Amino acid sequence: MKRKLRDLPPALLMLVPSLGLLAVWTIYPLVRAVDYGHKACDISVRNCRDVGWDRYWTVFQSKEFQDALLVSLKLALMTVPVGLVLGIGLAVLADKQLKGIGIFRTVFSSTVATSVAVASLVWFVLLQPQVGVLADLLSGWIPKLKNPGLLNDSSTALPAVALSSIWASLGFTFIIIMAGLQSVPRDLYESAFVDGAGSFRRFTNVTLPMLTPSILFVTVVLTTRALQAYGEIALLTGGGPQDTKATTTIPYLIYGNNSLVHNDIGIKSASAVLLFLLCLTFAAVQFRGFGKRVHYGN
Amino acid sequence: MRTVRNSRRTHGFAVLVAVGLLAAACSDGGSITDTGDTITTTVPGDTMAPTTTVAADTLPDCPTDALASATGPVEISFWHGMSSVLNDELIKLTDLYNSSQTKVHVTLTGQTYETTIDNYLQASQSSRPDLVQMPEYMVQSLVDTHSTVPVGKCIAASGFDTSSFLPTALTAYSTQGVQWGMPFNLSNPVLYYSKKAFTAAGLDPNKPPQSLDELRADSQKIVDSGAAKYGLALDSGFDSGGGWYVEQWFAKAQEFYVDGDNGRTNRATQVLYNNQTGADLLTFLQTMINDGLAVSVGDNAGGQDDLLKLADAKEPAAMSIHTSAALGGALSILASGTFPNLKDTDLGIGPMPGPDGKPGALIGGASLWPVDSGDDVKTAATWDFIQFLVSAEQQSEWASVTGYIPVRTDALSVDPYKTKLATDPRFSVAYDQLKASPDALTSAGPVVGPLREMRSVLAQAIAKVFGGADVKATLADASAQANQLITNYNQLNGG
Repeated sequence: MKRKLRDLPPALLMLVPSLGLLAVWTIYPLVRAVDYGHKACDISVRNCRDVGWDRYWTVFQSKEFQDALLVSLKLALMTVPVGLVLGIGLAVLADKQLKGIGIFRTVFSSTVATSVAVASLVWFVLLQPQVGVLADLLSGWIPKLKNPGLLNDSSTALPAVALSSIWASLGFTFIIIMAGLQSVPRDLYESAFVDGAGSFRRFTNVTLPMLTPSILFVTVVLTTRALQAYGEIALLTGGGPQDTKATTTIPYLIYGNNSLVHNDIGIKSASAVLLFLLCLTFAAVQFRGFGKRVHYGN
Repeated sequence: MRTVRNSRRTHGFAVLVAVGLLAAACSDGGSITDTGDTITTTVPGDTMAPTTTVAADTLPDCPTDALASATGPVEISFWHGMSSVLNDELIKLTDLYNSSQTKVHVTLTGQTYETTIDNYLQASQSSRPDLVQMPEYMVQSLVDTHSTVPVGKCIAASGFDTSSFLPTALTAYSTQGVQWGMPFNLSNPVLYYSKKAFTAAGLDPNKPPQSLDELRADSQKIVDSGAAKYGLALDSGFDSGGGWYVEQWFAKAQEFYVDGDNGRTNRATQVLYNNQTGADLLTFLQTMINDGLAVSVGDNAGGQDDLLKLADAKEPAAMSIHTSAALGGALSILASGTFPNLKDTDLGIGPMPGPDGKPGALIGGASLWPVDSGDDVKTAATWDFIQFLVSAEQQSEWASVTGYIPVRTDALSVDPYKTKLATDPRFSVAYDQLKASPDALTSAGPVVGPLREMRSVLAQAIAKVFGGADVKATLADASAQANQLITNYNQLNGG
């Protein structure tokens, strides 16, 4: 205890740079957002009036927020499991000592260098119903590609956005899982092999347990990304089709070009803080749910 | 033991969260626009009576002669929302200005309109630029920021001659007798059509439809003859078919869109589109779709889906309504041969068809707003640059490259626009229909605080109508929601 106290001043000193940045760029804006959330302000945010902390509850209960919440949850459900399974699958495939495997590793991880904007534009051009490549090639099998277009149909718009999103984050998942795989001690596989475990048993009883820290990390990041999805929505659908707002996620409800609360900093802030709480809750549940099953080695 | 208790607690927490989400999801919440902005009980001193006049002496002055006292070059920052061809051309004009004189140097910051608006509104006055370009839907909001120098004051102080300006262009950016912004880039929706499809359908490729009835009749011929799969491509984008065009159609019908004479004489308090004109219009569009004469390309998130429908190799439409500002870009893309089935010479431009076929259109596009920095020299330098941008020579150059409409009539007799009009009459369609607009406040377009949000509301309604929803009920819903937005806005800003 004494030693801990003695270490405190130098520790604090070394933490100052990152704490400073955190305070300026994260804590301060968060505090301001929490404060704005219970205010109603004029257009240039000069004059504000207190509307009470129950604003948070009424915003949470509002039809638009509930609809957006549902869309955000659906998007997370579509992207996280599929992205995770694909990432693990590709990583296991690429974790072989084969000639030329470097080419595949580069290809599989390439989307990590692709911004959401670029990835979305690629998919936008592919899926464009009038002159897009996929629309003309595959509309015989999938008529919706042409009319009205996957992104223009309420039932397919969100899956199409999810497709682009999964593709864009696949490189990230691949790299993290790959790194996890490389750190699995080879002797574990050897002893499992000696004990008579087949390749499937080795995967379920050695690989997966040893990968749990990476999987937990990727799950938390992918879930947060899905809940915060904005770029792909803005570029692919603009939150539409508008008649059902099928892809209006919470971030798009807050920031989107056609947001109803575009210039209303109070309601926007309240929604953003609610989104933050949502991400926090999910991360907490994932950490605790996974908690005891995560194997951090020795 | 500890593990079991922990996991139970975790499960309990997760269940609690899930139940909470479900409970909230089942509760019958109101609209997000009704979450506390509007106070129903009157708080003393918080009632906002509509103002009828703006006292000119309370507005910032524009000392245009202050530039003479500047010792070195005055640095001016200009935030604008121009992109691609438009951005290139604005850079060209600004470079020309910077090199043509030594007193003022302008630095451009280009973003989208939306980003410019957000950054401008949320910045402190000292972080704002010296000059900002704002689209037509921002007039009331910008007035309510109390952050700009009305150009009317600059015009008066410098004796700037506006006699050759299009009167509607000036009116569009003035309310309650104050000229707020200087019109710079004017556009309005025009009809883009495939001359090839018109010829194939036995129609005169140089006689596009003027009225909605003709639009339907021509579409019928095009579809019947097989010249194109659809007559007309519609969209429900909030800055096009879902919002802006409805404002245009109301102007063409010479009806107000919001009260207070479109918000020009009094602050607007409600929308007026929930009437027979609105219902007739939406019913017309819905019937066109139901009868297979028109097709909706959706929300047009990319902004070009409706135009691309004309170039569609498999299921093209023959006509589409689109902003005239896209003409320059569209022609250069078609001329590059990207779309073998539609060449630049195949593209026809006609006036936007309206309820009774009479010409006329609202001003779209954007205007220039000098920002009140409190620095007389900067204000005067900004005004100098504005005068350059709206001179007949620069407007002629600007319009001939972009497809925007010159803000002044004398730009038409100056090259390169003069030659452009003579060689390609497609560039004069937007100008002609603007010039033909009746000189009335109905032709000046709505000025109302949350116009952008109101367009989103209407865009959703129109998307529903395109999908087959009941016109009257949908229009009534949209109107109620728009009125809520206006009430909120006026309570927070109306003073």
